[in-house]
Amino acid sequence: MRRRPNYLAGAGSLVWLFVVGLPLYVMLAATLRTRQDYAENGPVSIPDSFTLDNYAGAFDSGFGQYFLNTLVVTGCVIGIVLLLVPPLAYAIVRSRGRTTSAIFRLFLLGLAIPAQAVIVPMFYLISEAGLYDNLLGVILPTAAFCLPMSALILSGAMRDISPELYEAMAMDGASPLRMFFQLVLPLSRGGLSTIVVFSALQAWNGFLFPLVLTQSDSTKVVTLGLYNFQTEHGIDIPGLLGAVVLSMVPILLVYLFARRALVRGLMGVGGK
Amino acid sequence: MKTRARLPRLVACGATLTLALTLSACGDGDGGSGSDGKIHVLVYGDATNKVEKQLVEKFNKTSDVKVVLDTIPGADYQKKLQTIINTPQAPDVFFNWGGGSIKPFVKAGLLMPLDDFIEKNPDLENKFLPSVFNNAVVDGKPYGVPMRGTQPVLLFHNKKVLDEAGVKPPKTWDELLDAVTELKAKGVTPIALGGGDVWPTQMWFQYLYDRVAGPELFAKAIGGDKSAWESPDSKKALNMIRELVDAGAFGKNYDSVKYTNAGSVQLVASGKAGFELMGSWYYSQQLTDHPDFAEKSLGYTAFPTISGGKGDPKNVAGNTNNYYSVMKKTKHPEAVAEFLKLMYSDDFVKAQLDIGNLPTTTNTKDFLDKAADPKYSRFQYDLVADAPSFQLSWDQAYPQKASSDMHKAIQQFFNGQLDTDGFIKAMQALPTD
Amino acid sequence: MTTQITSARPAAGPRKGARRRPPASNATKVGRPSFAWALPAAVFFALFAIAPLVMVAVLSFMTWDGISSPEFVGMDNWSRLVDDPVMLDSIWLTLLLTVLGVVIQTPLSVVLGVWAAGNQRNRAVLSVIYFIPLLLSATAVSVLWRALLDPNFGIPAEATWLFGDGNLFGEQATAIGVLAFVATWQFTPFHTLIYQGAARAVPEVLYQAAEIDGAGRYRQFFHITLPQLRNSMITSMILMIVGGLTTFETVLILTQGGPGTDTTISAYYMYDKAFKSFDFGTGSAIALALVVAATIISLIVVRVSGYDKMRSTMEGVS
Repeated sequence: MRRRPNYLAGAGSLVWLFVVGLPLYVMLAATLRTRQDYAENGPVSIPDSFTLDNYAGAFDSGFGQYFLNTLVVTGCVIGIVLLLVPPLAYAIVRSRGRTTSAIFRLFLLGLAIPAQAVIVPMFYLISEAGLYDNLLGVILPTAAFCLPMSALILSGAMRDISPELYEAMAMDGASPLRMFFQLVLPLSRGGLSTIVVFSALQAWNGFLFPLVLTQSDSTKVVTLGLYNFQTEHGIDIPGLLGAVVLSMVPILLVYLFARRALVRGLMGVGGK
Repeated sequence: MKTRARLPRLVACGATLTLALTLSACGDGDGGSGSDGKIHVLVYGDATNKVEKQLVEKFNKTSDVKVVLDTIPGADYQKKLQTIINTPQAPDVFFNWGGGSIKPFVKAGLLMPLDDFIEKNPDLENKFLPSVFNNAVVDGKPYGVPMRGTQPVLLFHNKKVLDEAGVKPPKTWDELLDAVTELKAKGVTPIALGGGDVWPTQMWFQYLYDRVAGPELFAKAIGGDKSAWESPDSKKALNMIRELVDAGAFGKNYDSVKYTNAGSVQLVASGKAGFELMGSWYYSQQLTDHPDFAEKSLGYTAFPTISGGKGDPKNVAGNTNNYYSVMKKTKHPEAVAEFLKLMYSDDFVKAQLDIGNLPTTTNTKDFLDKAADPKYSRFQYDLVADAPSFQLSWDQAYPQKASSDMHKAIQQFFNGQLDTDGFIKAMQALPTD
Repeated sequence: MTTQITSARPAAGPRKGARRRPPASNATKVGRPSFAWALPAAVFFALFAIAPLVMVAVLSFMTWDGISSPEFVGMDNWSRLVDDPVMLDSIWLTLLLTVLGVVIQTPLSVVLGVWAAGNQRNRAVLSVIYFIPLLLSATAVSVLWRALLDPNFGIPAEATWLFGDGNLFGEQATAIGVLAFVATWQFTPFHTLIYQGAARAVPEVLYQAAEIDGAGRYRQFFHITLPQLRNSMITSMILMIVGGLTTFETVLILTQGGPGTDTTISAYYMYDKAFKSFDFGTGSAIALALVVAATIISLIVVRVSGYDKMRSTMEGVS
């Protein structure tokens, strides 16, 4: 940008940095100090001890397995979303049929369904299907609840594809299938990475479905594992936050990776 | 145009990966009990699981029918249990709090009365302290075997803070009121309270009602006679609570303080508060978070007596113990009976004492010297063994479905949103079965 | 949406203001996908979201505690709800929190999003930090903020001039304030992402033209950036409204609806009825009412804003 720096915005951004950063600092600091230090001095104090025990403790309580399970769930949810949503969004944006617009309405309605509202019937559905205490039983509903938002996001992105490009391809006699693969998908990469980030977040932080639909250690996900640090009568805050920080790392990597994809997309357009 | 060709392949890769992962995911997972020659035991997930795992391993070495231990983490145990209890996914044996936590299951005919087991092996009853064992008796039949430790509620204090204010640990209610005045004058919050959790607030109600009216009032109320709440004793107990709150005993911001994030624990340890009424687990909490303080200045007494009260001053309140209950549909009752025997074995008692739990078996007293803190363990054990009545925490004595409304009423009476009559009405509206 | 970044729209004219061509050739059916493309997703969604919702609707006419078998009770659950003061209060609280959310978060995330859309390196780094709250699970957010707002050892103790005795969770007004604030803290990053993407998609030529006309930074913001963000604003607001009506986690983790019932919003009340009181019938009735309300409101927003017409306007442009 060639313009002079915007001091007001800069100051504002620093204020927001403080609001966002303080809790994050407290979180990080808490994970690196002993439980006693934290308890004696409170959350906003300057740490006077250093330890990595909180991270080690997370692994001791079985987090390796939980991570793996969460990874499987997240991978599968992303896979299902990527399989189902692009064709759906494509139809929503390009199809002119009444059926499609009815389907679009259905998904708009879906936005308004809170997961906890359907959890009881969901339990019966999943256990009837023989998927109780099976990761697949967590994956399917989690993916289903990612669909409405993903559809909204991706169809928004696809709307921005210039109609002229479709027309040009139609002139060449291209089928919808060819347009989808050669035009729509490449040009909505940004949207795709957004829905990947979105559904990854949903799956990674999902709590309610795993809670109700699994029970063994072998199917436990990270968010449930966090509860190991919480008992009926107390909580190991540094230990819990250590596990939280660990659990954030993979998803932060996904975000950073997707971010680079976004920027690359931008560059590609600019270079044309 | 290179990128355009890459995307479909990416999607294809994703699809393959999904399929592969999905298929591999289908392989594992075998929850619920079936006819698989296993007993599923469902417990509350926390640090005690260590002992339970050892126990299961030991049992599985000699038994043909294997035990599988399932845990449900923390606060959501009860919700989850209620969802699965009447489905094929229900366990064979499960952890509970006795009292109201199993009453609805008994009413629905889901649980196995344990008289048959006990007839064959009277030790399943005789080896446990009666006041504890009786809390899992519903309609005259036993439905649970104690399986962890007892947790009576005690009045803890910071010795240093009390000394500085010239206050002695109170033996009577009037002494407590005096202590409140003295501590307040010193600029200290007299009593720390994690009102944000509500159940710590409830502890004050439990003891006041028990001391003033005796355990009979609450027993009457939970038996379905709701007029108990309107009795003069009930109103007297409520007035005493009101008096204590209005005297500033808990400061002003107790509703923003939590016990579960160690906020109230820190208040006492740092000397900003004098007392805290809490379950016996408080000691190990302080020992973990504030070892220095716990060793030097943490004092504890039984709840003060109230002159003119109808309740025996030796009565205690709190969590009597946790219990294993058995589902009627279990396919391996003999194996379950064998498993339950372990709950009074010497090894089990020692292992529990080792991690700071206090089992309620009759042989516990033989091992008290080996406990993590013998003096503290003995104090508790004697307190519980001598108590004519052990009042189970209200929210556990009532059916689980009443707990939310009960907590609301307790919080609202404490902070003044409800008056005495309002509180009485709210308690009368609670379901008792 | 962030997605607009990659849009291949050639740096042409703006959406609005350009003369609309009649949609002649592009209304044809040539090369348009049939509804079959949407079918797999629709079936999947119907199976795992709509079917349970239908079961919820049925449950709302039953009484059920999860243990004994359910029984039909007609309109009992519904008529009890209509007279329930907690339910009525919860509706107002829900609306209040939703409105607070939109009013606080929209300007904040627009400004942040536009700011973060700049290409400066420091902005990129800061946006990554801004994004982090979105990654935290509900448990983590609860533990963090309850600890930070502890009246004796948290921020209120360091700033008594502002917080007084720090009884933030003990009074209705402050408890609602905390809820609105924490929701802002957690969800602003998401909406910032939306606006950041949209702001980057605003054609540079518009700013160049404005600069030649001598328009200052703030004039450009109000006359170019804001109008160009209109569609994103609608999307973001729909999400905020629907989110505000249906989320309950913030309440669950921070106040549990208290003190008393002072912060019991409808979604939390549903949870309270279903999973604490094990009255699944009443819980289902509240759930259904919520879904219906959220749908109606979002349909109204979609209609009023012309979001559903966007397709045709888009195709009319260029």
